[in-house]
Amino acid sequence: MVSINYKAEGTVFDIQRFSIHDGPGIRTIVFLKGCPLSCLWCCNPESQSANPVIMYQPEQCIHCGRCVQACQNGAISPGEPGLVDRQKCVGCGECASVCPAGALVLKGEKMSVESLINILKKDRAVYRKSGGGVTISGGEPLVQWQFATELLKACKAQGWHTAMETTGLGSEEAVESVFPYLDVALLDIKAMDPVRHKQATGVSNEVIHRNAVRIAELTQVVIRVPTIPTINDSEEEFKKISAFAKTLNGVDTIHVLPYHTYGENKYGLLGSEYPMGYEIQPLPRERAEVFRKVVEEQGLHCVIGG
Amino acid sequence: MSKMTAKERFYNEKGMIAKGFAQPTDRIKRIKQAILDSTPVLESERAVLVTQVYKETEGMTPIMRRAKVVEKLLTEGTVIIRDDELIVGCRNIHRRSSDIGVEFSCKWVEDEFETIADRSTDPFYISDENKKILHDTFKYWEGRTLSEYATATMSEETLRAQDNGVFNVGNYLFGGVGHSVVNYERIMATGFTGVIEEVEAARKSLDRSDPDSIAKEQFYEAVLITYRACIQYAHRYERLAAEMAAKESNPVRKAELLQISKNCQHVPEFGARNFYEACQSFWFVHNILNIETNGHSYSPGPFDRFMYPYYKNDPTITEDFAQELIDCIFLKMSDCNKVRDDLSAQAFAGYQLFEMIALGGQDEGGIDQTNTISYLCLTALAHTGMPSPSLAVRVSNKTPDDFLYRVCETIRLGYGMPNVFNDEVIIPAMVNRGVPLELARTYTPSGCVEPDLNHRYDGWHDAASYNCAKVLDITLHNGRVDGKLVGLETGDVTKFTCIEELWNAFEKQMEYFIGLMVEADNCIDRAHGQICPLPYQSALIEDCISKGKSVQEGGARYNFSGPQGCAVIDTGDSMWCIEKNVFRDKRFTMAELMDALDNNFGYPIPAGSSTGHDDWGRHQAGGCCADSSDMESKIYEAVKAILGGSGSVNLSDIRSTVASCGSGATGGGSPEKYAAMRNILDRTEAFGNDNDEVDAYAVRVARIYCEIVQRHRCARGGQFQAGMYPVSANVLYGKDVGALPTGRLAKTPVADGVSPRAGKDTQGPTAAANSVSKLDHALASNGTLYNQKFLPSALEGDSGIQNLAALIRGYFERKGMHIQFNVVDRETLIDAQQHPQDYKDLVIRVAGYSAQFISLAKEVQDGIIARTEQTF
Repeated sequence: MVSINYKAEGTVFDIQRFSIHDGPGIRTIVFLKGCPLSCLWCCNPESQSANPVIMYQPEQCIHCGRCVQACQNGAISPGEPGLVDRQKCVGCGECASVCPAGALVLKGEKMSVESLINILKKDRAVYRKSGGGVTISGGEPLVQWQFATELLKACKAQGWHTAMETTGLGSEEAVESVFPYLDVALLDIKAMDPVRHKQATGVSNEVIHRNAVRIAELTQVVIRVPTIPTINDSEEEFKKISAFAKTLNGVDTIHVLPYHTYGENKYGLLGSEYPMGYEIQPLPRERAEVFRKVVEEQGLHCVIGG
Repeated sequence: MSKMTAKERFYNEKGMIAKGFAQPTDRIKRIKQAILDSTPVLESERAVLVTQVYKETEGMTPIMRRAKVVEKLLTEGTVIIRDDELIVGCRNIHRRSSDIGVEFSCKWVEDEFETIADRSTDPFYISDENKKILHDTFKYWEGRTLSEYATATMSEETLRAQDNGVFNVGNYLFGGVGHSVVNYERIMATGFTGVIEEVEAARKSLDRSDPDSIAKEQFYEAVLITYRACIQYAHRYERLAAEMAAKESNPVRKAELLQISKNCQHVPEFGARNFYEACQSFWFVHNILNIETNGHSYSPGPFDRFMYPYYKNDPTITEDFAQELIDCIFLKMSDCNKVRDDLSAQAFAGYQLFEMIALGGQDEGGIDQTNTISYLCLTALAHTGMPSPSLAVRVSNKTPDDFLYRVCETIRLGYGMPNVFNDEVIIPAMVNRGVPLELARTYTPSGCVEPDLNHRYDGWHDAASYNCAKVLDITLHNGRVDGKLVGLETGDVTKFTCIEELWNAFEKQMEYFIGLMVEADNCIDRAHGQICPLPYQSALIEDCISKGKSVQEGGARYNFSGPQGCAVIDTGDSMWCIEKNVFRDKRFTMAELMDALDNNFGYPIPAGSSTGHDDWGRHQAGGCCADSSDMESKIYEAVKAILGGSGSVNLSDIRSTVASCGSGATGGGSPEKYAAMRNILDRTEAFGNDNDEVDAYAVRVARIYCEIVQRHRCARGGQFQAGMYPVSANVLYGKDVGALPTGRLAKTPVADGVSPRAGKDTQGPTAAANSVSKLDHALASNGTLYNQKFLPSALEGDSGIQNLAALIRGYFERKGMHIQFNVVDRETLIDAQQHPQDYKDLVIRVAGYSAQFISLAKEVQDGIIARTEQTF
């Protein structure tokens, strides 16, 4: 009998109901904090740090000054561009708790498996009606692998379909612990060349590729390619990725995820710059179709947009 | 139907579900274009003929006068066959034109003679000659209209409540009732001669010594006059078609006209012998309803169910021709029109008649009735894409998946239809009202969202709109509006020490005002029975002939009156805001809150141009582009239209009431003074996010409304039952309400239907739907309305269709009653850029990420807007 620790706690930065592109059917996504990668195009930059972070929306601010008094670390001063001195901020959230306007928001909250299941339960009727379920995303969920394992076990105990969006980067122990409880892993492969991969994501892809082999033995895998102009939007790259995908146990599908700029706003809210720069435009549908053809020529199924 | 599982589809995007829609025939395209190109005209023929009859029949019984009205209109009114038509019978000489129900009310028409042709929404051309004719005609009606008759019977208290905008009973005070589903299938089977035979038999068996027999005799005689005229009416079309055929040079059209002539020779005098005749019979039955009176929402109801036998048993009919005939019927329905006053027209923009065709559902034995005609009707909507008819679908656990998928594919076209209704709630709700289970299973939605029992039921749906938020406003002011006592004195709220005291006071005010609303409704109901009984409609509603009594006098088997509660959600959220911030967290006192409300949180009352909060008018159906001073006058007009229905009671009083709506203050202090409090209120949890504790407050308001309403009896011998749906008038009803404890400013819109307040449901469509499903929909058996909006991208592909179907099934499993979907268009997104607070619920969804539309950078938003085209 499998025991489940419902009291286990993890750091969650968002829960998103009615998600329709992150596994089959209608799903709820639990976003876990922390990521060992720092992809230039990351659309969830608030997820990267394992600890809670403050986001500041200047247009909401009513300049009441309560946050300045609330901060114990002197990280907030009205003169500071972006309000918060990120070097001093420890992510305690005191400022957000006193902000009457909602201009300061703390991203990242400790939650137990039990409290998450209570939220996830609310949509059980639509999981059932749509063939959907729960998806764990991030960040990289393998950072909090022990918590992710307990959460997944609890989901399976409810009979729900489980999915995970993962970069594939994690310890062997994490991989062996998490993936047996998943119905599908949505595994990102960003570039096959290790040097290029390191330039774009900050890490080499060797561990990722090794893990991919094992993950595909543990569960069903769909390869997802965030398709980023100037990084990996070439037919050559898709040929290589397809060839690699075919070596993985049971993999027959690749998702082309076209580059979008929906996350760029968040960098300003975090007091940082968007590493991709603001000039690069979203990947046009026609380009995605070209890559779909490449993938299909390799004998794999392909879906654009997941 | 696809055999793939959801999982397989996810991995392999092979489209199997979306079927697409074939092009309509050229004929359908031409008729549609002609309707779109037409200029609606305000006609005078009906008003003149009706007035003539009333002058000639002054000594007769009301039912006999009404028979003479129908006889006159059907024998002397213009008959006309338009180009390309296969189904004939016109109510009006010009396309999409309107008559006036002069016997109900007419003064407002004259008041708008000079502006009606040029107004921005739903204009009607009126010639100088017609102005003169109508002016002369209206003179007769001074002191004689139904609205004056009914108003004279109302008490001072109920008039005062109406003047203060607590409720509005304008619908049937200023027009006919309509709003029923008649026995089309009976006429298809036996023809009008079947009705005549039944009436003659009933008449023969009358016991002449019974004092009731005198009224019955009058009723029977009236029905016979009416139905003989109806038969003659069809024969006028028979002759007209033959004459036109004789002159027609195009041999194809000549043959069509000869066929039309042949059809009209046989139906509806006799039963239909094939599908084409059934279609023609249906249309005559329907069209005469709207000639007899000028009500709205006469709904065909279960059209697919009663048409299908004629389709199935017709060996010659092809699916293509059946499709074209149904398309023709849909276009006939959009060719009809009803003139409304200026602001009501803005609220109901698009020349709407609310005539609903409802597909699918079950028979008495609970067997699913989805059939070929159901599918053809969905395609007819795709082909015609006009606001009329309203299209609805009944969904039960037995509804086939492929039919629901086809419904979702149709919804995705972006016409906001079909509406979807839940059998699993409505059938028990009907049983709870005393309808036997077998009959309840055959119910049909009608009008906007109102469940009806076809041809056995007089629901008086839309009996009134009752503004719950206004009652809270009055409760907070100890029964007063603008310092004057309008309700009960239920205590000074600043002395209250817990929320239960406020609930108690609110409930007493609700009891008081609902009682007054019932009185007003019954005054009007009784007036219809006494001076405007309708023989044609009555013979098509079961039991009227056996009882010898019109529908208006209580002849139907089941009688109800259904007034709808509005602003239930704003009221519930207000109560929660008070409980949370005043009594629980003690962020401020009740006195401080009342000070803020009375000063409209420091903003001017009425909304001025400087606050940036005066742009509510943009959200009205049809939109408007007036500048702010123009807007201000429209605000007055809007309230005028709502309080006065089509406008006749005490308008000057209303104008002054509205000018000082809420507190009578003009916004003391400044917005800064109240900014912190308003921020707290604005950020307090709201209904629509699946939070049980918060949602319970709106649920309680709804329950109070429904339970008090259903205690009352209606004038026709039945029961009142509540609904909760303001249609699009939530903007207008908001004008009557002062600042609310939610932080909502005075006179701004309230939430639409039972939907969460604009922009307050931030947890996605499943959370919002869960919240809405917590209301006891079965108690609101006159209907609820829930509106969800989606970006087109959320509905793309087969998975989009399946997810939409799953949302419907999920909401219905949780006992929601009705849901409709709007596919967001470019204009809405542009509006969201300008009014982000109202659009927090618009979410962009892509893999691994989602964001509120309003939180995206302007350029990114522009990119999405550029891609948002209706390309399905």
